[in-house]
Amino acid sequence: MKVYTQNDKVKIKLKVNGEEQEVEVEPRRLLVHVLRDLGYTGVHVGCDTSNCGACTVILNGKSVKSCTLLAVEADGSEILTIEGMAKDGKLHPIQEAFWEKHGLQCGYCTPGMILQAYWFLKHNQNPTEQEIREGISGNLCRCTGYQNIVEAIKLAAEKIRQNPQEYLRLA
Amino acid sequence: MYPPKFGYVIPESMDEVLEFLEKEQDARPLAGGHSLIPMLKLRIIRPSYLVNIRGLKELHFVNDGKDTVSIGALVTHFELNTNDIINKNVPLLSEAASVVADPQVRNMGTIGGVVSNSDPAADYPASLIALDAIVRIRNRGGVRDVPFSSFQKDVFTTDLKQGELVQEIVIPKLPAYKYRYRKLERRAGDYAIVGVAVLIKMNGEEIEDVRIGLTSVGPKAIRAKEAEELLKGNKPSDELLDKAGEEAMKVSNPTADIRGSVEYKKKMVKVMTKRALKEALER
Repeated sequence: MKVYTQNDKVKIKLKVNGEEQEVEVEPRRLLVHVLRDLGYTGVHVGCDTSNCGACTVILNGKSVKSCTLLAVEADGSEILTIEGMAKDGKLHPIQEAFWEKHGLQCGYCTPGMILQAYWFLKHNQNPTEQEIREGISGNLCRCTGYQNIVEAIKLAAEKIRQNPQEYLRLA
Repeated sequence: MYPPKFGYVIPESMDEVLEFLEKEQDARPLAGGHSLIPMLKLRIIRPSYLVNIRGLKELHFVNDGKDTVSIGALVTHFELNTNDIINKNVPLLSEAASVVADPQVRNMGTIGGVVSNSDPAADYPASLIALDAIVRIRNRGGVRDVPFSSFQKDVFTTDLKQGELVQEIVIPKLPAYKYRYRKLERRAGDYAIVGVAVLIKMNGEEIEDVRIGLTSVGPKAIRAKEAEELLKGNKPSDELLDKAGEEAMKVSNPTADIRGSVEYKKKMVKVMTKRALKEALER
């Protein structure tokens, strides 16, 4: 058993987008802040109350809200952020679909939307519109651009169905 | 928002967890953390230590028994919704799991956490009280079983004592029952304004047995017993379901908040009870 007092720092290891990271954090530090301090600023702080989903990342294959997770809980885990989606200068099909369907206005919710869409499409590559809407019900877009976001995820599903092994192997 | 300072414990075994929770008065177990961490941020609670129990495999299981299904405390809402054993044997709980908060929260939140937190607006309590679920509690002396109905004491208050942890929820299989969990929410992913869980066993055209669990209608989940008695032995009709809804409304005692007035919520108990019964019967 390891016991850290409130003033101790805990050494944690994370693998973010394939890059090994090692940091020392207070137990109370939230994952979203640690990721941002490491330079992954595509992880946004929106509501800070686990409502809006702007801080969504993929943690060990599951989409989570990183504002409601302690960094110490993520020790030893693999994380995918928006920075890890494009490969060799080429956008991921979900990113392409958001571009093509104008699935964003201000862009603040977009990284969270795209990562949630990634997790959702991993579980359902042939979704109905209703399923897509339920799938992103934990992500808020205050430009209210939901219609185009839903269209983008529909298009992304089509693109991913062509080569799911290739496009869904990131996390 | 930042949580206050707290110590952090990574245990290697259940014994270590129980020992630590027993000796350290203000220590709290950390499972999914999706109620605990928001409460820390709001400084509603100030634990001395958080004991991360998420790595304990012995709390993460679904067992298909002869007459019961046992669900380990660390089973997440997503798992409850997608697990074959639960889908087959306790579909009511699967259905409730599908409407807890949102997909990301369902990936983290656990049934043990919901039960231990005892939020009066949580979804599961309506189903658990209708199913006559048992809460199996672990302490250093062993385990003790408490019916869910007496496990929940009051708002955010349970039968858990210092040094105790919810180990699993034991649920009797009710294969012949139709089911429905109906939740009223104003905003996607919110807590229930009213939640109604219904189990109905038919005998020909008559209702042989019925159980109605209500959540978010008072300090803890309740059964609408008068409504159940009214329905038993009768042939379902629109009029009868209306009356049952009214009986359910009479036993509910909601508080006014941002989600609605007392009057509105009571009326919604009537409406949602009728809908839940109707939709269960149509299955």
